[in-house]
Amino acid sequence: MLLKRISVNLFLIFFIFLLTADACAARLPKIFPFKEKNALSEWQEKIFRGRVLYSVKAGKGTRYLRAYSENSASGIFYEIKFDPRQYPMISWQWTVLRFPAAQHELAGNAAGEHWIEKDDYAARLYVIFPRLSFNLTKCLEYVWDKDLPEGTIITSPYSGNIKLFVVESGTDNVGKWVFAERNILEDYKKAFGKEPGRVGAIAIMTDTDNTQSTAEANYKELKVGYKDEK
Amino acid sequence: MKNSITNMRKIKFINTPVQNKTLLLVFAAAVIPMAIVALCLYYLIFNMLAWQMGIPEMVAYNLIPVARKVNIILLVSLPIALLAIWLTALELSHRIAGPIYRLEKELDIMIAGKRQGPIKLRSRDELKALADKINKLMEKSK
Repeated sequence: MLLKRISVNLFLIFFIFLLTADACAARLPKIFPFKEKNALSEWQEKIFRGRVLYSVKAGKGTRYLRAYSENSASGIFYEIKFDPRQYPMISWQWTVLRFPAAQHELAGNAAGEHWIEKDDYAARLYVIFPRLSFNLTKCLEYVWDKDLPEGTIITSPYSGNIKLFVVESGTDNVGKWVFAERNILEDYKKAFGKEPGRVGAIAIMTDTDNTQSTAEANYKELKVGYKDEK
Repeated sequence: MKNSITNMRKIKFINTPVQNKTLLLVFAAAVIPMAIVALCLYYLIFNMLAWQMGIPEMVAYNLIPVARKVNIILLVSLPIALLAIWLTALELSHRIAGPIYRLEKELDIMIAGKRQGPIKLRSRDELKALADKINKLMEKSK
């Protein structure tokens, strides 16, 4: 009798947990147009080394997020939980105004030594896949790099759990808005060779702490978690 | 002083069912809650810190080296802690199982008629009071 009551109570607790977990799932797609002045209020600032200036700016009939980094690395972080197997797409528009100092000319190539000293990008967008243990957390980073060719996938010098995808390359589109769209499910499989778990957060960062230089980039119309309609 | 030293039992593990059960019980009672609390703290502290840091490079650069150091310290200190708990559990189990074993042996000798007289247990033994009462009962029944 007691065992039965305990089983029923445990089942109820589990059921309530499932309901709560489902209620916590984000309403998708989540769009960040960065048009309101207080658009950054729902984002958390994460400072790594020095503070990058993130602000909402207006110009040429549009509003956007501006990131200005001077020998610094900090990002903005937004918690969003969803299943990338159901909603695999993410898109955004970005433009780079100034790249960090020739990062891949500092010492050899991307696979060379001291690569950590060159790990700066004018613009990067993170998709973070948390796990039960923090050291198993995986991350996809979409970067705009001056030198590496588009489509390059590299492992971060900081951790094997961080894979960088070069989505935009070179200086041809400097100052122009460029649209980028990625299938995070496919990218995850390509990067880690298996299906992803749930997405836990996204982040944006423009950093110049390693190259001790200056970079400037703009972002807008970030759309997270929608189905591939192609 | 000399008496108390010679009176000490040298063999701590007498391998009786009572000692085995007590030993396991005391060891488990210490290790299981300790492991649960340690795991929860480890998991909570590092995961919350990692989530607070947010940016994966930040976690990899700042937190993972700390976690590695903590893991090494744990790897070194855990066997020492487990050994200390085991020795404490052995001592405690011996204090309970030893007198029971001794009591049984003394009673066996008396039943066999090989010796008459009081059962002697050390003053720190857990069953000293019981042995004293058996002695009194035997005195009365003479």
